[in-house]
Amino acid sequence: MTGKQRKQIWNAFQLTLILIATFIMLVPIVWIFLAAFKTHVDVYQLKLFFRPTLENFGTVFDDPYRLGEKLYNSTIVALVTVVFAIPIATCAAYSFSRFRLRGETTMLVMILATQFVPAVVIILPFFVMFRDIGLLDTRLGLILVNLAIVMPFAIWMIKGFIDGIPLDTEEAAMVDGSSRIQVIRNIVLPMAAPGLLTAAIFCFIIAWNEFLFALILTNKDAVTLPIGLALFKGEEGDLWNLLSAAGIIIMAPMFVLALIIRKYFVQGMTMGAVR
Amino acid sequence: MRDNTLKYVLVLPAVMVVFATAIWPLMESARLSATVGRLNRPGSLDQYIGLENYTWAFFEEPAFWNSVWVTGIYTILTVGLTTIFALGLALLLAPGGRLRSGVQTLLILPFAMSPALIGVSFRFMFNPEFGLFDAFFGAVMPPLADVSWLADPTLAFAVCVMADVWGWIPFLTLVLIGGLASIPQDTIEAAQVDGASGWRVFKDVTLPQLAPVLAVVIILKSIFSLKTFDQIFMLTNGGPGTATQTLSHYIYFNGMKYGQIGYAASVAWLMVIPMILLTYLYARFVFRKD
Repeated sequence: MTGKQRKQIWNAFQLTLILIATFIMLVPIVWIFLAAFKTHVDVYQLKLFFRPTLENFGTVFDDPYRLGEKLYNSTIVALVTVVFAIPIATCAAYSFSRFRLRGETTMLVMILATQFVPAVVIILPFFVMFRDIGLLDTRLGLILVNLAIVMPFAIWMIKGFIDGIPLDTEEAAMVDGSSRIQVIRNIVLPMAAPGLLTAAIFCFIIAWNEFLFALILTNKDAVTLPIGLALFKGEEGDLWNLLSAAGIIIMAPMFVLALIIRKYFVQGMTMGAVR
Repeated sequence: MRDNTLKYVLVLPAVMVVFATAIWPLMESARLSATVGRLNRPGSLDQYIGLENYTWAFFEEPAFWNSVWVTGIYTILTVGLTTIFALGLALLLAPGGRLRSGVQTLLILPFAMSPALIGVSFRFMFNPEFGLFDAFFGAVMPPLADVSWLADPTLAFAVCVMADVWGWIPFLTLVLIGGLASIPQDTIEAAQVDGASGWRVFKDVTLPQLAPVLAVVIILKSIFSLKTFDQIFMLTNGGPGTATQTLSHYIYFNGMKYGQIGYAASVAWLMVIPMILLTYLYARFVFRKD
């Protein structure tokens, strides 16, 4: 066997492995997509070819499932969480990036560390407090605790983006008599805009997919989409066609958002640890 | 406003939010863990009993040790398998080109999927009557044809591990591809010119230079594995019996279903300890770079 042939075989082997991996990765997703367009009967027959129907998407929005309410809750909760988190995080990130603060490293490490505290530890005291002050099963309560998971991400990510903006334009503007606030508003914010958008999308995805807080804090009025999945457990077992339709409603928007920010995806998740 | 004041004003709201949503609940959990802490008994949240909840967990509750065991094995398996598969896939995809970049883009999809939904989809795939994976394993390994995966303690655990690994490989792969890209190409070429085999190049040149990234990946994945809740809840809900009950699930059950919030808080704090250790390691790696 010549070296060239060996190389070709090696290449073909690699391609095969890549295709197998891709297949395994996509199968569960594709399977859900297919099931969402199947009738109840077709799901139970492992059919690959079937007559597609949109019926499931209608059913999940009707009584008794009313997925529309959950969709509304999820959207409001994720959106408001982001609207609160991003400005607060941006101010902090700018300060951390441009100034030396007393106890700066300690603060940054603490912020990073809170990211790793198990959610179940955080939620116990909040449950007790919300029960006492009447915030259980409200969107507001959910938004408040969601800030706990979103803030550290947002601060670290945005700091990373601001670190990458060169200092000289800012300094030139200061020499010309602009105040610090003007500099932030007129120079830093426009330059950091793509980074802020990325961080916002990122936080939106996290808040949208959040599960444990919503499971514990909501039961009727403020139920979000991931918790709504539990609705489709009928007496005769799971209603897979409806479950799949709901699954698509949950994941399709996140797929689109994730693809928009794919360039920064990894960087965002590891908060600059791996570049 | 002078910069000297402004810089503290700017961080104040963020520090307050982090304090209120993370530091306070941690402290309050610690306090609760020292009380009788029954949700249905008013006043018991201020009734202090010292370390009794902790000794109860250690000496009177086999279920606690069961969940420690489950979480431990789960963490070791998921971290190990995810890292190995992700490294392999990263090496396959790193060279780039049309096909490989396309697959890299697809890798983002499983990660944007909510873990709860991953749990649901794996329950679907392993349904004994019409699950695709169930049918597949049955066809490849006939002894598995008639088993009901999620009803068997060992197999249910295996499904949980599979779901976790499936969900995490894509993200770790992307991180490792980033790590591979940052290795100077000339070190690899030099080794190749010297006549080193592909395996030797990988073992002696690539791997040592990838080690810091690999370390971060392993620490990060360990943290997320230890915390696992969503998938387990949707996939097996800790069952059958307590075969897949992770610590997070055990805490949830004791705190929310049985209303023993004091006890749940004490177990939660026991879980924070390994987290602190891992976070410390992680922070060291992150800050060493700066």
